[in-house]
Amino acid sequence: MVVSKMNKDAQMRAAINQKLIETGERERLKELLRAKLIECGWKDQLKAHCKEVIKEKGLEHVTVDDLVAEITPKGRALVPDSVKKELLQRIRTFLAQHASL
Amino acid sequence: MRTRRGVAVAAAETRFLSLPFPPIPRGPPILPRGAANWRQELRVIYQCFVWCGTPETRKSKAKSCICHVCGTHLNRLHSCLSCVFFGCFTEKHIHEHAETKQHNLAVDLYYGGIYCFMCKDYVYDRDIEQIAKEEQGEALKLQASTSTEVSHQQYSVPGLGEKYPTWETTKPELELLGHNPRRRRIASSFTIGLRGLINLGNTCFMNCIVQALTHTPILRDFFLSDRHRCEMPSPELCLVCEMSSLFRELYSGNPSPHVPYKLLHLVWIHARHLAGYRQQDAHEFLIAALDVLHRHCKGDDAGKAASNPNHCNCIIDQIFTGGLQSDVTCQACHGVSTTIDPCWDISLDLPGSCTSFWPMSPGRESSVNGESHIPGITTLTDCLRRFTRPEHLGSSAKIKCGSCQSYQESTKQLTMNKLPVVACFHFKRFEHSAKQRRKITTYISFPLELDMTPFMASSKESRMNGQLQLPTNSGNDENKYSLFAVVNHQGTLESGHYTSFIRHHKDQWFKCDDAVITKASIKDVLDSEGYLLFYHKQVLEHESEKVKEVNTQAY
Repeated sequence: MVVSKMNKDAQMRAAINQKLIETGERERLKELLRAKLIECGWKDQLKAHCKEVIKEKGLEHVTVDDLVAEITPKGRALVPDSVKKELLQRIRTFLAQHASL
Repeated sequence: MRTRRGVAVAAAETRFLSLPFPPIPRGPPILPRGAANWRQELRVIYQCFVWCGTPETRKSKAKSCICHVCGTHLNRLHSCLSCVFFGCFTEKHIHEHAETKQHNLAVDLYYGGIYCFMCKDYVYDRDIEQIAKEEQGEALKLQASTSTEVSHQQYSVPGLGEKYPTWETTKPELELLGHNPRRRRIASSFTIGLRGLINLGNTCFMNCIVQALTHTPILRDFFLSDRHRCEMPSPELCLVCEMSSLFRELYSGNPSPHVPYKLLHLVWIHARHLAGYRQQDAHEFLIAALDVLHRHCKGDDAGKAASNPNHCNCIIDQIFTGGLQSDVTCQACHGVSTTIDPCWDISLDLPGSCTSFWPMSPGRESSVNGESHIPGITTLTDCLRRFTRPEHLGSSAKIKCGSCQSYQESTKQLTMNKLPVVACFHFKRFEHSAKQRRKITTYISFPLELDMTPFMASSKESRMNGQLQLPTNSGNDENKYSLFAVVNHQGTLESGHYTSFIRHHKDQWFKCDDAVITKASIKDVLDSEGYLLFYHKQVLEHESEKVKEVNTQAY
């Protein structure tokens, strides 16, 4: 029932995701990404932005949802191209090795 | 252990109902200890759906962690804590479930946070946080132990699979903070980092090198942030640990001179040839010290392991190791045979030594690298130019050519293939030839800033007939270095004294004469004779990429 609601694209994405999780590659990619985003200062930038939002909304009233809504677009935009490139390259390599997908 | 987990996985998928999580009120969260085994059930959820350490749990996560409504594995997927339901947050599918079933708690499958639908926010319970931390740590350890990939920046990960945890103050730390409430800001007038070293009997050769090393910015950052994890069988013999301790002493703010007796003792043990109270060569000590530090970084006590410098990732290699390329060109077939050897320093012949010959007269080239070029005075650049020039090996030194299959005359040229972060230049002032033993005291002018581009292997092609193509104004900062330490020798071969100049706070220089430290001017430094010169790269490249990722201005 659930599968029929997903189109081909989403099915492919789900299949790739499964493979990534099963092999533990997803965790490795997560760690790599985490390290890269810290190195290039992305984490610090967003942390500063979070602090601003908290100051604005007040510590007692702000929720995690507020923060997520505020920083998600900014976070996505600020990821450096080189980081995206490297992650994509890693995923491509992974897919090439698991050609059965 | 695995079988238990396998059983637990099946259990988790069918039996969630014993979790008794009623809504947690806002304020300091308190968790009712209703069900006796709620802790274990929570652990199972973390192991199976959040932080999966084993292949079985990863499989179950891959298969089952999708939204029961829309099938996505993204969109901040959450798991209900009262029944088997996965719903995504962004599309509010988990919210609908919570509303309908009155199941008010869910766990975020990405970060492990607990969400309360009544409080409409994530809630925190000390016990749950502790369990979460433990499970995450376990999963990471399992992941690291099965991973065949060497993490690309090994020294930045403390221990295998350990992450840098957030600092939660312990009681002794709180006390320490209480006793030292004043924040210290380093102003340029501060002398922290400047500390004399007592001479223990002709140990000035050692003191100078210690001053140079403890003022190497990138090495200082490494040790002062406690990056060394000792792997030696007996840590009290570890030179790296002692180095760490030396940094702490020199940067403690204590103005009285430090007595480096432990360092001397370790040097006697690990570098026998430097033991005793006679004056030794500072350059020899530098190389021996780097070697022992490099070995001890890898826990190698006896120096038995034939460590391959090309694959070593210890801090010493990361900072000091450069690649010296040697190209031998066969004069018959013009085939080039290239080898690259690791090097920690560059030893330069000086004019007037019996082993060198200086074909060109200085003054031919205009001032390169801002060196004061007075006709008759040789510069560091001149020495480097000579070091990297093609040299005819002569008919008495024919090399066997691989393609010609015979002995042919050839030329040999040395260039830098890979530049180290810290470049050390050694002027060969001490002549120990059969003919004579003497010290060459010729003054060699050296610059404050040095561009290594002309001496690189990649610049070789632009050099024709020994003529140097000088970079006119290369916007390329990649190969630029800044001087930060100079070791000088006064006296003769038989009896002499070593002193050093070190750079402090970007533009201040100090002279270190054992226990006495005095302010010096840049002119004092640049006018000094120079025996060992230490240069630090201005821009640091990210290791795994050729493109500059990290741009750190050391000075």
